[in-house]
Amino acid sequence: MKPLVDILNWILPLLYILCFGVYTWDFIKDVRRVTNAKRLFLFLTLLTHTVYLLARTAAFQHPPITNVFEIFTVLAFSISLSYFILELVTDVRGTGLFIIILSFLFQIISSVFIEDLVEVREILRSNLLGVHVFHALLGYSALTISAVYGFLYLQLYNELKHSTFGLIFERLPNLEILEKLSFYSAVIGLIFITGAIAIGTIWLPRAFPNFSMGDPKLIATSLVWLVYAIGITARLTGFWHGKKIVWFSIVGFLIALCSTIVTNFISKSFHSFY
Amino acid sequence: MNLLAVSVNHHTAPVEIREALHLSTEEMKGLLADLRKDVFSEGFIISTCNRTELYGIPIQADYSYKELERFLLDRKPMLSVTDEHFQKFFSCSAINHVFRVAAGIDSLLIGDNQIFGQVKESFQLAESGQMAGVMLKRLFDSAIRVGKRSKTETLISEGAITVSYAAVQLIEKIFSALSKKNALVIGLGETGEIAAKHLRDKGIGKLTLTNRTYEKAEKLAEQLHASILPFSSFKDNLKDFDIIISATSSPELILTAEDIAKLAKKRGGNPTILSDIAIPRDISPEARKYDTFFYHDIDSLNIIVEQNMKKRKDEIPKVQQIIMEEMIDFFSWFNSLEIAPTIKSLRDHFEAIRMEEVKSQINRFAKEDQEKIEILTKRIINKILHHPTTTLRKTAENGVNSPEAIAKIAMLREMFDIKN
Repeated sequence: MKPLVDILNWILPLLYILCFGVYTWDFIKDVRRVTNAKRLFLFLTLLTHTVYLLARTAAFQHPPITNVFEIFTVLAFSISLSYFILELVTDVRGTGLFIIILSFLFQIISSVFIEDLVEVREILRSNLLGVHVFHALLGYSALTISAVYGFLYLQLYNELKHSTFGLIFERLPNLEILEKLSFYSAVIGLIFITGAIAIGTIWLPRAFPNFSMGDPKLIATSLVWLVYAIGITARLTGFWHGKKIVWFSIVGFLIALCSTIVTNFISKSFHSFY
Repeated sequence: MNLLAVSVNHHTAPVEIREALHLSTEEMKGLLADLRKDVFSEGFIISTCNRTELYGIPIQADYSYKELERFLLDRKPMLSVTDEHFQKFFSCSAINHVFRVAAGIDSLLIGDNQIFGQVKESFQLAESGQMAGVMLKRLFDSAIRVGKRSKTETLISEGAITVSYAAVQLIEKIFSALSKKNALVIGLGETGEIAAKHLRDKGIGKLTLTNRTYEKAEKLAEQLHASILPFSSFKDNLKDFDIIISATSSPELILTAEDIAKLAKKRGGNPTILSDIAIPRDISPEARKYDTFFYHDIDSLNIIVEQNMKKRKDEIPKVQQIIMEEMIDFFSWFNSLEIAPTIKSLRDHFEAIRMEEVKSQINRFAKEDQEKIEILTKRIINKILHHPTTTLRKTAENGVNSPEAIAKIAMLREMFDIKN
């Protein structure tokens, strides 16, 4: 099993960069044959990634969430998987390159630095922790996608406002669709984050005697949850829409990103496993 | 092939000449009937706002371009038309020209969608006027194939190339479901009318029109199932519209900065598209400064038009390749209609059948009879083919590729499925 894990560890970034290349080629050239082929290519990449994650779990007897670089490969997978589902549901095909590049970046960092840990802390073998982490990762992936669509919305908005009609104008779907994609991704993200918080709230006090509500990761995640909950409520009640709500998504993502960096790499608490 | 064609088009003649020579459907029918009497054995006419073209196979081999030009000008007198205003085509160049026209690459607006339909109508008129024989029917099929392939295999007709359509294309980049949107078109001159039609074609939810001349608005509203607002009071209802297109000929602004400010207040945060396709402008450019207003004037729309036009021009080589392929196909068919190759193909075809049958049955006969079987079957084939062969040779005496010869050969090839 170990040789398979090693091979796939290096094949995956290659597949993601090729996938990014195919999506970019289609974005620039708008070749009809590539339009259909690229989806198949992404599917095969995700299939390979699934095999890799399963093989890794089997080889090291724990889910791949025991160190930051294992988390990164799961993040790469969940970002592309979320995009793939979104593409299938909405049939909006011109935005993949902006999402897949993120998967590639996470995967290449993971592939270079990942360690093969057989011995891990017992707490990291907990199934509830696995569910908790997967919820959090899927949530953050969805929020990332929401921010990317928000960013694309702003690009198209600027082209339309300033009459500079370039590739963005030609290839992207319209503003309303971009806003919807950003909004629905944020809603999905919030649902998963809620799940992660709920599971964490049940499990953490049992698992850690030194559990504290003042834990930085807990506070940061709650803050992110609050920001998105306010934004989504404002949108649903018709209070905010268009550019305002898109900015909200981007700011929410930046808060989530900063808080993740601070809580994972700078501050230390019972909630830090790596 | 002696296909002759003359064309007065936007490359050769100014609009007043093109207008004067334009033929209505009834005029085309009359002209086709006259052509059939003593000019062409087969022929067709294409007449649009940008071209009037006569194509045909002359009955008299020495019939000239000059005579064909005179024929047209006798029926459509126009003193200022000279020989310079006519493009002339013969044989291969005539086929190439009609293919270019069908594909839209000879149009004033490259990739124009209308011309394909107009060419098809011309072919139908020729067929109903009994002016389409075997050769022209085949030509029509090829031309239609060129038109269809150009549209499906290239991007020659992609993107807006008129300001009105560019305005609608822009709207589609902002709103996703036009069926849920309300649009107002102010001013129903040619541009405004086209914009209103485009909006209806795109499935706009509610279309409202306003025009200084109420009767004109009424007429178009009936055609497009739209509602009308009186020109004097339409500003009172501006807040109800997600899309406002203005195309009046007013020398002053129709929607001033003050109107825009009021509208912004009333619309709240709802996005609003303001397309100004008038010269001079109808809508104050102040609209640009509002975050939720998408304002475009004719200059910004022209950017889209120019970009799309360039892209269409880049597609021309692909269309020319399609034309070349279809010309090769057409002339392969046409060349197969010559008498001598046809007789040879016919004989080869029968000989192949004879040999196959003899081969499969020959062992049933005694050795001494096998040679007799060969001789006997050959004699039968010769007798069967004797009459068709002599008939074809006699037909050839009436002239190479005469309509009669083409018809007979085409039928023969079709009946016996002879392809080479």
